[in-house]
Amino acid sequence: MKTCLIVDDSKMIRRVAGRILKDLNFTTSEAENGKEALAKCRDEMPDAILLDWNMPIMDGLAFLKALRASAGGMNPIVVFCTAERSVERICEALDAGANEYVMKPFDSDIIASKFSEVGLM
Amino acid sequence: MSNVRSLKPGYYEALRRLTLELAGVKLGADSEFLVETRLAAVARQEGYDDLPSMVGELFSEGKTRLAVNVVAALLERDMRFFDDKAGFDTLINDVLPLLCESFKGQPINILCYGCGSGQDVYSLAMTLADISQKHPSTRFNIVGLDYPSRGLSRAMEGRFTHFEVQRGLPARQLVKYFNRDGEDWLVNDALRERVSFQEFHLLSSLKDQGKFELVMFRNSLARYAASSQMRILRSLVPAIPVDGYLMLGSEETLGELNFGMDWLEGAGGFYKRRATRKHPDMIVAEIAEPLRTDFHE
Repeated sequence: MKTCLIVDDSKMIRRVAGRILKDLNFTTSEAENGKEALAKCRDEMPDAILLDWNMPIMDGLAFLKALRASAGGMNPIVVFCTAERSVERICEALDAGANEYVMKPFDSDIIASKFSEVGLM
Repeated sequence: MSNVRSLKPGYYEALRRLTLELAGVKLGADSEFLVETRLAAVARQEGYDDLPSMVGELFSEGKTRLAVNVVAALLERDMRFFDDKAGFDTLINDVLPLLCESFKGQPINILCYGCGSGQDVYSLAMTLADISQKHPSTRFNIVGLDYPSRGLSRAMEGRFTHFEVQRGLPARQLVKYFNRDGEDWLVNDALRERVSFQEFHLLSSLKDQGKFELVMFRNSLARYAASSQMRILRSLVPAIPVDGYLMLGSEETLGELNFGMDWLEGAGGFYKRRATRKHPDMIVAEIAEPLRTDFHE
């Protein structure tokens, strides 16, 4: 079973995404911001990370840059999942090392489609 | 689901018959839900108070344009970009090089038959744009044909919803080929200029449409009644020149009636037009009654 870390400051989003990912046969863990997510990754690197952009303490982009610069940090597949919908933001995320990009609102079909595109399913 | 049936029972059967007669498509036994969800929107667009008013008038007054809109709405399918990735890979890696070799120096005309809201057409256009350096001297013309519908109108405009662009379309392709337009995404002009769409009754004859070196008719065959399947294939196959290809869905086959085409072994739903004398099925097609072309009012 693959592991996915869900990083989002919204408890509701973490819960909804967690349910979708469990249905897709992922074991999930959660973090409320980038700093907490980095600590979790240092303990155990997940196979995938579903990552919000706007979060307190450390945002998604800062987390992604720090992750990719860390030991083993190139391994996880990172899928942004954010309300940011501009072309510029999507490009910024991809350039920083995101593998895919989900725009909120999302549904289970979109998550399944994006995870499939990056070879997680 | 308790309130799902707003029509008298006989109307559901009448709509199933209408769809079969007009488009040759068999709606399933579960079509009542489809009728309620799809046609409620059509009723609103057409200015009726509710679905029963629209359907009642449709059958009492026999309005052709309304019948077309109703059937088109019932036929719309959920589509996604780059659907059947294995099929697309075979197309790009195996079939296109063969086509470029066989039709060297000529434009390659590609037909998406039953293109719906255009995801196949644009997926192909993006792929061909990405690999244009591999076939620098080949021009590709991509044409999408389908019944007039809201989906086809949006395809013509290159307009897709937030949800549609997230089904099968990688983010890198999205930012490369689309621009945001309010809540929607619009295909950019460069890609839009590579394709064309046309309203077309899929049971009509393709005789006047010219030849297509590749015809994509994917995941649709099973929806049609047996007689309509024959009719469509007898119209499609002669539009493909010798050494041209028919691409069905990867799980679909032509069955025993191969219509003068050879299955491309190991390549899912691909068939190649055979360079032999006319197949009996094709001769039958030529002497059969003319295909209907009386779709438009």
